[in-house]
Amino acid sequence: MTERPTEPRTDVPATSDTAITPPDSVVLRTGALSWLFPRRTALVSVGLALVIAVVVALATFASSTGLSAADTLGGLLGTGDRMTVMLIQDFRLPRILVGLMVGAALGVSGCLTQTLAGNRLATPDIIGVNEGATAAVVASVVGSSTAMVGDWWLGPLGAVGAAIVVVACAGGAGTRGYRVLVVGIGVSTLVGAVTDLVMSRQNENTAGGVFLWSVGSLNGRDYGVGRPLLLCLVVLLPLALIAGRRLDVMRFDDDMAAALGVNIRLVRGLTLALAVALAGVAVGIGGPIAFVALASPILAGRLYGPTRVPIVGSALVGAGLIAAADALGRVIAPVEIPVGVVTSVLGGPFLLWVLISGDGRARTGSPSRRSSRKG
Amino acid sequence: MTVANSTHDLVVERVEAGYPGHLAVRGVDLTVPAGRVVAIVGPNGCGKSTLLRTIARLHQPRSGTVTVGGADIWQLGQRRAAHLVSLLPQAPQAPEAVTVAGLVRYGRHPHQGLFRQWSRDDERAVRAALDATGTTELAGRRLDRLSGGQRQRCWLAMVLAQETPLVLLDEPTSALDLGHAVEVLELARSVAAAGRTVVMVLHDLMSAARYADVIVAMRDGEIVADGPSREVVDAALVRTLYGIDADVLAAPGDGSPVVVPAARTPRAPAAAPAPAAAGPGKARM
Repeated sequence: MTERPTEPRTDVPATSDTAITPPDSVVLRTGALSWLFPRRTALVSVGLALVIAVVVALATFASSTGLSAADTLGGLLGTGDRMTVMLIQDFRLPRILVGLMVGAALGVSGCLTQTLAGNRLATPDIIGVNEGATAAVVASVVGSSTAMVGDWWLGPLGAVGAAIVVVACAGGAGTRGYRVLVVGIGVSTLVGAVTDLVMSRQNENTAGGVFLWSVGSLNGRDYGVGRPLLLCLVVLLPLALIAGRRLDVMRFDDDMAAALGVNIRLVRGLTLALAVALAGVAVGIGGPIAFVALASPILAGRLYGPTRVPIVGSALVGAGLIAAADALGRVIAPVEIPVGVVTSVLGGPFLLWVLISGDGRARTGSPSRRSSRKG
Repeated sequence: MTVANSTHDLVVERVEAGYPGHLAVRGVDLTVPAGRVVAIVGPNGCGKSTLLRTIARLHQPRSGTVTVGGADIWQLGQRRAAHLVSLLPQAPQAPEAVTVAGLVRYGRHPHQGLFRQWSRDDERAVRAALDATGTTELAGRRLDRLSGGQRQRCWLAMVLAQETPLVLLDEPTSALDLGHAVEVLELARSVAAAGRTVVMVLHDLMSAARYADVIVAMRDGEIVADGPSREVVDAALVRTLYGIDADVLAAPGDGSPVVVPAARTPRAPAAAPAPAAAGPGKARM
């Protein structure tokens, strides 16, 4: 047993009194009730909200059609000509808002799956969500003469269906997250192959209609899908926040978390269901937009620090990412680039950055796992 | 022995527990008064860990009951049970980059909620746990940058911060050198002296004999001996548990049993039989 004396580190100096209370937090107490407000969390959240506000403003004014800022403002306030008002209020704004919500859903979903699996590379598409949604949408298009992508709820339905198959095949959400992931990869591949087979038998017209959706696009998304999406988020996000407290503890091993009073099976099952529902809704509306579910929690983790599972942060980062990527895709080229393509292009370098960047913590679930007492 | 609160007796009744196709614990009865240190010993696969997991509400028994202070912990929810029983697993894993104080604060999780995030009780318990384990100076340090011995004391602090009447330790010394092992065992004693009950699984019969009030020896899922170490630990027990011949001596200090396994293959030069005065009972097997 090598017992190296730990050399003095440049860690937080150990002044006991400040160290006992969560560092850098405001404690609010009334009677038996008490709350903690970590300053960093609050500051970063406000900062991200400001960034999103700026992105939304830019996205509203950004245009590839040569609409001037004054025209846009007129459209926004409803004082411009009817075409501009319609363009801004009925097309651009709803699309931006739907993008924000889709991004938030993907971000939180990714955060939940990454935390469940204890692996930064575990995103909802690994448990078959994307392929399931795609299969459902493809099925809706096949045989339809218009080759239009069907109702938004087909995506979530397919996603939930695929996830149920995955979880059932894995023998329940169970005690081990990785088993679900392994089965998920298999089921995804299978469903994807069937989808490809079906697609290859279709005429080009049908295939083209599905293609745009299947790379991830917010084109033509309006309040018709925005309202149900908002409703889903209003229900699901608070649940994710409640799960977050337990997920913080589940970063310990299962035995320790259970000994600390967390019902592992229940929390794991509910979290998985939440992740699938959130990702399913997002994919159903925006298509399988790549990398947002992967990148948002990682970025949020860097911004918020490692003390908590960053649920709110992932939502904010995801929302900002999609809004920015969608605006970029609309403006950057004469013909709109789907948001999914933009995120893919940005996502590749991001993934490389994650893999090779400095502190290396993003690579694995947690380094403390390796330095547990067994070592 | 201060028996502070006898309502927190641990009572295990007719517990059978196991895995598909294998019964690891075969009808165990055990009563532990509050404020005692109990060591469960036995060979690998004797069911001691399964028994501990059953008491910790981690492994559901097929039959039988586990009660702490009269409450059947398998009838309670996970959270309520965590108010009565805490556990330090054998190789716990911490969240990444957690500080010592951060780790110990997690011990308060069962007492916290959406509207009770950081009470004065939490603060007092964390401070007391850090003090009791001598980790106050480490509070701001990162757990993964500490030595194994320091780390184990921090984990103990976390378990103590949970403030449960029953504290379970699964082989708390298995990865530690002699000095740090003794430190942890002394801590276990002081926890019991403060009125809590400590039940630990130990590999090392001599540590168990030295530091536990009660030895519970298991073999093949059953308790084969149960009582104060001086009465229970003898050559016959060592033979029953481990299938080896051994001399059991009395330690010069307090007479606690020291197990000296008989060497089957003779060694070339005669080895000094036992170290002198200090504490031969602490030696590992």
